[in-house]
Amino acid sequence: MSEKTKNNIVADKLEERDPRKTFGEALVEVGEKNEKIVAISTDSSSGSGMGPFREKFPDRHIEFGIMEQGAIGFAAGLATTGKIPFYAAIAPFVTVRPFEMFRNDLGYMRQNVKVIGRCAGLTYSQLGATHQSLEDLAIIRTIPGVVVINPGDPIEIKKAVHAIAEHYGPVYMRIGSPKMPVLNKEDYKFEIGKGVEMLPGKDVTIIGTGTVLSKAYFAAIELKKQGIDARMINIHTIKPLDKELILKAAEETKRIVTVEEHYLAGGLGSAIAEFLSVTRPTKMKMIGVDDQYASTGPYEELLGLYGLQTNQIVETVKSFIEE
Amino acid sequence: MLSQNDELMLKREALNIRKNILRMIKAGKAGHIGGALSIAEILTVLYYKVMRIDPKNPKWEKRDRLVLSAGHKCLALYAVLAQKGFFDETILDTYGKLNSKLPGHPDMYKLPGIETNTGALGHGLAIAGGMAMGLRMDGLDSKVYVIMGDGELAEGSNWEAAAACSHHKIDNILVFVDRNKLQISGPTVKVMSYEPLEERWKAFGWAVRTIDGHDLNAIYNACMDMPFEPGKPSVVIADTIKSKGFSFAEGKVEYHYWKATPEQIAIAEKDLEEIERSLA
Repeated sequence: MSEKTKNNIVADKLEERDPRKTFGEALVEVGEKNEKIVAISTDSSSGSGMGPFREKFPDRHIEFGIMEQGAIGFAAGLATTGKIPFYAAIAPFVTVRPFEMFRNDLGYMRQNVKVIGRCAGLTYSQLGATHQSLEDLAIIRTIPGVVVINPGDPIEIKKAVHAIAEHYGPVYMRIGSPKMPVLNKEDYKFEIGKGVEMLPGKDVTIIGTGTVLSKAYFAAIELKKQGIDARMINIHTIKPLDKELILKAAEETKRIVTVEEHYLAGGLGSAIAEFLSVTRPTKMKMIGVDDQYASTGPYEELLGLYGLQTNQIVETVKSFIEE
Repeated sequence: MLSQNDELMLKREALNIRKNILRMIKAGKAGHIGGALSIAEILTVLYYKVMRIDPKNPKWEKRDRLVLSAGHKCLALYAVLAQKGFFDETILDTYGKLNSKLPGHPDMYKLPGIETNTGALGHGLAIAGGMAMGLRMDGLDSKVYVIMGDGELAEGSNWEAAAACSHHKIDNILVFVDRNKLQISGPTVKVMSYEPLEERWKAFGWAVRTIDGHDLNAIYNACMDMPFEPGKPSVVIADTIKSKGFSFAEGKVEYHYWKATPEQIAIAEKDLEEIERSLA
């Protein structure tokens, strides 16, 4: 078993794919279908998976150098003329750094621009807190009208790219960097704002998202083996939140555990708590990074520092149920 | 060169902009008049002689665009759009009221003719650059006009956008820097100087011209000469007088944002009446 999957109970049995490459392939697909789609890069078109698009549609790729604030403004301006810009770069540099441009030029101006934050969460593990992105979902979801998507496997990344290309309006989507296990089938139906019940269950609900969806999913499988009937839900759209599915889980299982590669402040768990605390107060446990700048090191080990490995999620859920 | 008739017409419309700015201030009691009054001539020439626009079809894809990067100067924009018939002039009387379509910084979804939501400084040039790029990609000959403040130039994002416009050889853009030389806390050269503006813009790859920003012919000629150099974006450094037209406020830093008193309003009315008599 590889170092990478040592804490995963079944991950080593699944095919794995590169999320950035997958994003790039999907971008070419949507680019072939719609000539209004343009790719914007800031000195990282290849690193963001946009190499194939650049090769195929050189006239529809615009390079801005290391200019993340400016790139968002230009993307907004292009969108006013009917273009559909896809702008991909390292997650903090397209969210935290140009936040006001995102808020005003894309959000307030309601422009049809898709921003992709790559190497999000802890996936830039060795590069440190400047390059890790643990607050992107929190800050971008405060912007009215912006769709926020955090796909959990390569199939979902591909389907999400197609869906956001069709959706009119500003979108933020985050993807990771290490290869991800394929959890969904090729014919998987993706719908913006609709969560997915991956496994039924009645004792507790685990809600996972994004890069650590697989960790949560395998934890749910392991819990079932140990006699705990855990329901597993994938919330790939942080905004708008699938309130119906979450409320149903809260009512039927009484307990919710959220799993995300993000700060506890403002992320998926926080969004769910905002909703449930005023709708149906529910016992919750949130797994993620608490109020600190994350450490550095090998990615899988770093996830372990913050309780995001499958065996740790299993233990957290078990002790939560016993509380 | 403008004909004498045109020049007189433009002077009257510039006066109307100033009258309408005062009309909004009377409704709302306060507002950013300094920079609105200093761009009255620039907007007049653009909207009455230069820009390809159709007030009845404000989203016409072949239209020219105006991006008011210095969004706080919007009283002048509201005035000229109303005068051109983009919306009913009586809307001007709602300035400052709850849910008015005339917020203190413009909102493109509230009124036709407004192209961008500006107000936070340092956003307009990048957006305008993207517009110009998109129009060029579509093979349209539409132009993008931008109005910036001189104080605004301290926002670093402007210089990102300036570099990108020249790198991408965007020559269907014309920027007016309204150099009225004052910003909210004092003279721009004392607060944070970006002088010499001409040399800085040149160094960023722009073709530069300096004019008197109240000279209708100079504004018109600059518009007719764009691009000043093919393959380069063009910028006009327009030397203006802040609060131009209101005698008590001209060139005074305190009137960047004016909380109007009835006495001052009476003076402003008299000032505008005098201009009107001179044009009779």
